[in-house]
Amino acid sequence: MWDLMSRLKSKRRYLIELGVCLALYVLAIRLSMLLLNDGIATGIGKPIAALIPMVPGSGMCWVIVRQFHRMDELQRRIQFEALGFAFAGTAIVTFSYGFLETVGFAKVSMFFVWSVMAVLWSLGMAVATRRYR
Amino acid sequence: MNNNIRALRTARGLSQEALGSALNVSRQTINAIEAGRYDPSLPLAFKLARFFALHIEDVFDDGEETLGS
Repeated sequence: MWDLMSRLKSKRRYLIELGVCLALYVLAIRLSMLLLNDGIATGIGKPIAALIPMVPGSGMCWVIVRQFHRMDELQRRIQFEALGFAFAGTAIVTFSYGFLETVGFAKVSMFFVWSVMAVLWSLGMAVATRRYR
Repeated sequence: MNNNIRALRTARGLSQEALGSALNVSRQTINAIEAGRYDPSLPLAFKLARFFALHIEDVFDDGEETLGS
C-alpha cells in the first residue's frame, strides 16, 4: 500500500542507505589520501588507491537507482525531465567553458562537472515538481 | 485529456491520499491527473477505471470522436 507510512519508511530507508554510502565515501577519501600522501601506494597501486572512493561512490548510484524503482510513474516522469534538463544543461555549461579555456580561461577540475549537473538536477526537479503540482 | 476522477472520488468520499494508497501511487499523482496536468499510463488508467467499476472511456475523454461514427 502506497500509504503515508510506507512512503515515509521508503524515504527513511533511502536516506539511511545514502548516508551510509556517504560516510563510507568520506572514509574512503581519507584512506585514499593516506595511501597516496604517505607513499604507501606506489606504481600501479597509485591509480587504484586514487579510485578507492569510487567504490562507495558506485554504492550511491545503486542507492539512487533503487529509489527510482520505488517511485510511481509521475515521480519517475519528474525525475526524467529533471535529469534531461541537467544532462543538456551540463553539456551547454561544460562545453561553453571548454571553449573559453581555449582562449585563456583558467583550467577547471573535472570534479566541477558533476557539481554543475547536481545544481541543474535540483533546479530541474523544482521546475518539474511545480509543473505537476 | 479530460477525466472525471475528482467527481468520482468525492462522490465516494475518498481523499486523494486514500485513492492514491489504493492504487499504489502518490497523492501528488492523483492530484496531477485530476487537474489534467498529467495523463496516466494505460495500466494506471485501467486501474483507475476498475477501481470505480467503470469502463476506461467513462473515466477519460480525449475529446476525439469514435472512429467510424
